[in-house]
Formats: sequence, structure tokens, C-alpha cells
Amino acid sequence: MSERLLDVRDLKIEIDTRRGRAVVVDGIDLHVDKGETLGVVGESGCGKSLTMLSLVGLLPNRIHTTGGSAHFAGTDLLRMQPAELRAVRGGRIGFVFQDPMTSLNPVMRIGDQLMESLRQHKRLDKAAARQRAGELLKLVGIPGAEQRLESFPHELSGGMRQRVMIAIGLACDPDLLIADEPTTALDVTIQAQIVELVKGLKQRLGMSVVWITHDLALIAGLADRIAVLYAGTVVEDAPAELLFRDPAHPYTRGLLASIPRLHGEDGARLSSIGGTPPEPGRRPQGCPFAPRCPLAEAMCHDIVPALAPLRGVATPHRVACHVANRVREAA
Amino acid sequence: MTTQPATAPLRDDEPPVNLWRDAWARLSRNRLAVLSLAIIGLLAFVAVFGPWLTPFDFLSQNLDARNLSPNWVHLFGTDELGRDVFSRVVYGTRTAFVVAIVVTGIAATLGVILGALAGYLGGPFDRFVMWFTDTTMSVPQLLLVVVINASLKPPLVNFMEAQYEATKNGFFRNAIIIDFVLVFGSMALILWPPYARLIRAQVLSIRSRPYVTAARALGLTTPIIIARYIIPNAIGPLIVAISAGLGNAMVLESAFSFLGVGVNPPIPSWGNMISDGLQVWRNHAHLLAAPAIVLGVATIAFSFLGDGLNDALNPRGRK
Repeated sequence: MSERLLDVRDLKIEIDTRRGRAVVVDGIDLHVDKGETLGVVGESGCGKSLTMLSLVGLLPNRIHTTGGSAHFAGTDLLRMQPAELRAVRGGRIGFVFQDPMTSLNPVMRIGDQLMESLRQHKRLDKAAARQRAGELLKLVGIPGAEQRLESFPHELSGGMRQRVMIAIGLACDPDLLIADEPTTALDVTIQAQIVELVKGLKQRLGMSVVWITHDLALIAGLADRIAVLYAGTVVEDAPAELLFRDPAHPYTRGLLASIPRLHGEDGARLSSIGGTPPEPGRRPQGCPFAPRCPLAEAMCHDIVPALAPLRGVATPHRVACHVANRVREAA
Repeated sequence: MTTQPATAPLRDDEPPVNLWRDAWARLSRNRLAVLSLAIIGLLAFVAVFGPWLTPFDFLSQNLDARNLSPNWVHLFGTDELGRDVFSRVVYGTRTAFVVAIVVTGIAATLGVILGALAGYLGGPFDRFVMWFTDTTMSVPQLLLVVVINASLKPPLVNFMEAQYEATKNGFFRNAIIIDFVLVFGSMALILWPPYARLIRAQVLSIRSRPYVTAARALGLTTPIIIARYIIPNAIGPLIVAISAGLGNAMVLESAFSFLGVGVNPPIPSWGNMISDGLQVWRNHAHLLAAPAIVLGVATIAFSFLGDGLNDALNPRGRK
């Protein structure tokens, strides 16, 4: 097995509300190996982004991590001093955010924004940082990179800005790049370009990538392994190919079934999962998916299933479901 | 890599659009603002080059030519000591500008730093700063300045006297210096709270923007984030406030001089000239009119410029 870069265990995140603390992330287990791309899939509000922000201490006010650990290259990020953590963010962990339109400082030139983290973490002088900034823009495929250093964000299109964001995330040669829905705000053709870009860069630079998305189809060709999140827990974690071929969790199956197909039957209704995910603070007692689950049994409503390896498969395929094993064996 | 780059239309032939160029274009279409800018420019020129422009010394008395009405030799006439009023108004311009710029500068700097920190850090520091601004703003300005002035003057005078005794440097015996320090100090102390509140409100809205989170994700330190990501994005309303604040500071300085707590005679200030003129205005109206009109014009110019800047810099008010 290759080396673990990031190992998140039993992570808990809670929000302070007027009615007390509400659990939003309830014991997430995730890991990323060196050189691996992990896709994190889940619907809005399932805790994908909070999990990633919590790793580097960027949770908004009133949201706290209340348990678990997150070892990054051997040290627990959740127990680091603020100054140490600051050296990790932007230095060893690069971030790419969702909305390239608002994630760049509108009054600062592209070049200066690229140089910020280089000067902060690598202590480069102005000239060296500038040269590196130019190289980075070239790396992410921006034409006329040198001139573009002088541009302001509003002079670039959305796709170009996301390229710039990626360049900023890569500036200090991070071991891990966390991309939080980096293509959600872009149109489909640009999405494909960004996916290709990150794929190419990953191979060239040998870093690990965590790609957060709610779009399964998008990461099908990108991720080595996919973790499916539901209501703040990991419900399934499997190599990408396996997950698509043989999904084990009823939620994952529901998700895959709801992807529209180009050559479906005429007039066939799009499959969907009935109901809505539980609100934070009003989680069901047992499996969080039980109220919406077509296969739910009595025990599902009482006992929370643990994330455990699927029986009878060679590759590591973990699923949090009481019935998955039985259903598979019966089939 | 075979990726086709997504090319934005490169418009290298056009000048790049930016906030300031844009704002300037809009400002220059506003006639009132341009006129105001011209008046302020003229006054600033007079303030800087005053000594080379005046026909008479502002202090020299000519007892044969007392209380003259405006004429071709003395454009604004002469006062009861035979001093040329035009020259005194010109010097008063200098006083007004120095006071306005220094006081507004100190007040705005103090306000921006405290307001930005309060807004960004929140918590007890925020509550303390806001309590302080509320308290300061709830006391009438004039009253507060008189109190600060009166309570600061004796210790300052003693301090300066002690410095003089120690160094025998004439600088410390200069009453003008003491006056200015007192005026600047007490005015800045009451004028910073509005700037702090303005910037705090801006920071509260800006600090939750994605680019601030992105900056934090880069591992940048708080001072860098405040200085490079938050304040530059909050600067528009600040410029408007400063422009209006300059005019406000001039009026305030005149008010204090008028009350006798500001710049003291013989240094000419529009305020103490108005104060002197008020006693004789029935017989010699020009002694009141000349400084009062100039003060009025200057104040109006600053506030119209502020208005124009507000329209030019505020994206929501765009026509």
C-alpha cells in the first residue's frame, strides 16, 4: 500500500445555534494516499466543504471541530498551533475554491496575488516570485502569461480566473491540492478543460488531489477513489471504477441511477431519491439514510452502521450499511 | 497537455478598465464636482504659495489705514489695526488647510486602523471600540473639544516649559506650536469615530467574501489580509468621507477659533477673523464678510466634491 498523506479519523463538526449545538459532520473517516486523487461526493450541506475547511482551521465563526483527528504527513492538523497551521495552508496544502468570480481580490493584479503565498511561504524576493508567477500562469495554460500578470481579475473570463486560482493553489508546490467544487460556477465545456488541466498537472507534479463535487459524472474520469458523503458521514468509499460498476450503498445507487442518460427510453422518468436529507441537529437515531432508504429494515432505524469493508471483495471497498452485504450475497 | 486554453478576448488596444479611471470619467461629467475641485485646487495653491502672493505682510500694521473698505490696494480692505484683510485671509487659508489635512489625516488613520481591527477581530475588542465611538459621538462636539482642550493645555504647557528649561531650545517656547498640537489633538480625538464606524461596517461585509477566505487559505497573516485584501476594497466610501471631513474640519477649526479655543491671534485663522469681525460688522461689514464667504465657499466645495465622489465611486448609484 502506498504512503498515507492525509488520514482523517472520526471527525466531528458542530454548529452553535440558538437551540444548542447541531452536529453537521458526524465521524467522517477519509484518507488520501500520496499521488492519489480522491473524489468527495455529496449533496449540498452534507459537510464536504466544512470537512476540508476544518482541516486547515478555516471554519467560520460558531462552527467548531469537536472530535476526531486529521493527520497530515504524520502530524495532527487539528492540534496544531495557529502559526504552524498557517505554514501548512497555502504551503503544503493548496486550495482552489468554488467561485472564481469572487475568490480573487478585485483590486489586486493577478501577478501580485500569485506572488503573495510565494513571498509568505517560500520567502522569495520580488523578482524571483514574479518569475515564478509567470511560470505558474504558463503551467495552467494561460496565453500571454507575462502580460496577464498585470491584469486585474475582472479582465479575465471565468475559466481563466479558475486557472489563475489553480495556479495560486499550486504556487508553493503543495503535497495536497484541495479543490472545492472548482467547476460548479463554470459552463460545461470549460469544466471539461479544468478537469483535464488538473489531471495533467497532477501527473506532472505528483501531488495528491482532493476534489469535492456534487457531480458524479464529472469526477468519473478524474478520481482514483471516491468517497460518498451523506449527512455528515462517509457512506461508501471505493476505487472509482468499482463504485460506478458495483455501488454497494443504497444512496450511491440512488445517485448513480439519477444521472440522466442520453440514450434512455423515450418518456422514461428521471429516477430520483425520495425525501430530503436530515437537517443538522435533527438526525435520525439510526442510519441517517434510513428514512429515505428503499431497503431499510427495523435495525436501520435504531443502530448507526459503521463504515466497514465489504465482504468477499479483494479491493478495499468500504460501506456503511447494514443490509448491503446481505443484499449483494443474495443477488 | 492537449487542453485548449479558454481564451478571454484580449483587448490590448483598449486601455484597461479600472475603478479609478472609471470613477474619474464619471466625476468629470459632474460639473458641480469639477467646479468644486477647481475651487479646492485654487485654495490649495493659495495655501501653499500664499507668502509669495500677498501684497502685504499679514502682521504689519498701518495705523494710518485702519478699517478701510475694499479698494484696489487692499482688495478686502483693512482691519482695525490697519492690517491687510486679503493677506490675512490668504494666511488663514494656510491655517485652514494645515488643520484640515493634519486633523483629518490623524482622525482617518486612527479610525481606519481601529475600525478595521474591530470589524475583523470582532469580540471584546470590537465591543470596546464601538462603545468608545458611541460614547464619543453622543457628547456634543464643541463641548468635548473645550473639555479636552482645557484639560490638556496645562500639562502640555508645563511639559513644553520643562523641555525648554532642559534644552534652552526656543522651539519649545513657541506658543503657536502648543496651539497647533492642542487643536490637532483635541479635534482628531473627537473626529475619528465616524471613520471607525464606516470602516468597521465595510469590513464586516468584506471579511466574509470568498477572496478573504481564499487569502486565509493561502496562509497569509492577519495584518497582510487587512492591509491588502480588506482596506483596499473598503476605500471608496472612505474617500468620500475624507473629502467631506476636510470641509467639516475647516468649519470646526473656525468654530473653535471663534470660541477662542482654537488657533490664537495673531496667527490668522478664518475663525478668529470672523470672531473679530463680528464685533464691528455694523460699521465694517467687510471684516466679517471676507473670511466668512471664503470659509463658506471652501466648505461647500468640499461637500459637493464629496457628493460627486460618492456618485462616481458607488456602483449602486450609477446612472
